[in-house]
Amino acid sequence: MVGFGGWEMPLSYPHGTLAEHMVCRKEAAAFDVSHLGTVRVEGPGSFERLQGALCNDLGRVAPGRAQYTQLLDEGDGSVVDDIIVWWVDEQAFDVMPNASNTDAVLAAIGGQDTTDTRAVIAIQGPLARSVVERVCPEAAAVRRFGVARFMWQGSPCLAAGTGYTGEDGVECAVPASVAGEFWEAMLDAGAQPAGLGARDTLRLEAGLPLHGHELGPGISPLQAGLGWVVGWDKPAFRGKEALIAERARGVTRILRGLVAQGRQPLRAEQEVLLDGREAGRITSGNYSPVLGRGIALALLDPAIGTGTSVSVAGRGREIAAKVTALPFVKAGTAAS
Amino acid sequence: MTYWVRVGTPVIDCASPYPMNFPADLRYTEDHEWAKVEGNRARVGITDYAQDALGDVVYVQLPAMGTQVETKGPLGEVESTKSVSDIYAPLAGRVVEVNASLDDHPELINSDPYGEGWICVIEFDDLEHADGLMDASAYERLVSAE
Repeated sequence: MVGFGGWEMPLSYPHGTLAEHMVCRKEAAAFDVSHLGTVRVEGPGSFERLQGALCNDLGRVAPGRAQYTQLLDEGDGSVVDDIIVWWVDEQAFDVMPNASNTDAVLAAIGGQDTTDTRAVIAIQGPLARSVVERVCPEAAAVRRFGVARFMWQGSPCLAAGTGYTGEDGVECAVPASVAGEFWEAMLDAGAQPAGLGARDTLRLEAGLPLHGHELGPGISPLQAGLGWVVGWDKPAFRGKEALIAERARGVTRILRGLVAQGRQPLRAEQEVLLDGREAGRITSGNYSPVLGRGIALALLDPAIGTGTSVSVAGRGREIAAKVTALPFVKAGTAAS
Repeated sequence: MTYWVRVGTPVIDCASPYPMNFPADLRYTEDHEWAKVEGNRARVGITDYAQDALGDVVYVQLPAMGTQVETKGPLGEVESTKSVSDIYAPLAGRVVEVNASLDDHPELINSDPYGEGWICVIEFDDLEHADGLMDASAYERLVSAE
C-alpha cells in the first residue's frame, strides 16, 4: 500500500504490476479509482457555469454523455486540472477531478464534493463488458463515453464508458455502503484486481497524460498536444486569451512519445538529447510490457518530428531512443 | 504520481503474501545483497526481501567483466516498474562472471533470487573482506526491524 493524494492505495496486488497490466490488455482488470474526486454541480445555470470555467465545449455533447475537459489558469493557460465530466441529467453534472486537485476545482466551479459518498470501480480490458454484464447488464450496455443510471441491489449507481487504460471499459460509481460487495461481485465475475502501478504503465502505453507530469503549471493543452480539448468557438472560458496568444505565436515545446532501443525503462526528468544538445525532457517514463522496451512521454522542441533518433541521458549513460507517434499501444491490439 | 522513487536500498513498503526465504549458507549485507563464498570467489545477488520490495524487475544493469569493485561500491542497477535501485558489492574484488540471462530475463531475479537470478561472481584475494557480512539470522533480524 502507498499513500496517494490522501488515500491509501495498493500499488499492486499479489500477482504484480506486469501481470495486472497484461490482464487489462488481454482480458479484464478491476481498478478501485475512488480516489478520483466527484463534484456534483446541479440546478439551473449549471451548464453555463461549467461552460464558462472549463475549456472543452459541453455543447458538443448532451445529457447521458461524458466529456474530457480541463480547468486552465487564467493567466497563462496552463492546466490546473484535467477532468472527466459525466453529464448525468439535463441539470446535473458529476465533475471528476484528480484526487489532489478537488479543492481547486471546487473553488472554480462551486457545487458539492460528494467524493466520500461513493466508490468508483473501473473495469477495463477487451473482456470488461462481458464481466460487467454478469453483474449489472445495464452498466455493461453503456456506450463509449456514454453515462447511464442503473440500480444494483436496490442502490442507485452510475456507469460511464470511460477509463484510463487505452482499452474499452466501464467505470461504475456506486454508493460507498455497497462498494465492497460490488468489488467482490466484479472479481467473482472474472475481473482481476489491478493497482496503481499497472494503472500508470497502462495509461503511459496509451499515451494518456497525467496531471503533475504531462499537464500542470506552465504546461498548456496545446503543448500537451490536446488542442482538440479546447472549445475555441465558445465565447469565453478561463484561460482562453492566453491560449489564443500561444496558438498565434506557436508552442515552444510539444508532447511526443519516445521508444527506447532496449528494455531499460526511461524515467521522468531525464534529459532528451539530439546530436548531443538538450532537446527536451521526459515527463513520464517506464517499461512497456507490451512492447518489451522502455517508453516515455517527453516535452520536446516542436521541430523534432516522428522518427527522429535521439538519446536520453540516464544516470551517466545514454539510452538510444526514437521519437514516435502516440499511442504506443492501441486498444485491443495486445489481445490477439 | 510520485511513487517512483530512487532508492539506494529498497525501502518500499511491502506486505509480502509469503514467508521470506534467507538461506543459511549465504552471507548478507545491510543493503540487501547476498554472497555465496566458495574458495576465493563469491556469487552475488539480491535477497528475497529486496526483490519483493522492488516488485517486477524489468531491467538489470550488469557490471562489465573484469571490473574491479570496492566493498559497498557500485556494482550495478536493478530497475522495476516502480523504482531504480543500486546494487552494491558485498566484498572487494574483480568481476569474473556475469549472469547474461538477466539481459532478456530480468524476471529471474523475482522468481529465483538465490538461484537463476544471481547477478555476478566476484573473485577476491583476501577472505577477510567477507568478515563484515551478516549471517542469515542476523539479516532476518535486520529485515524484520525495517
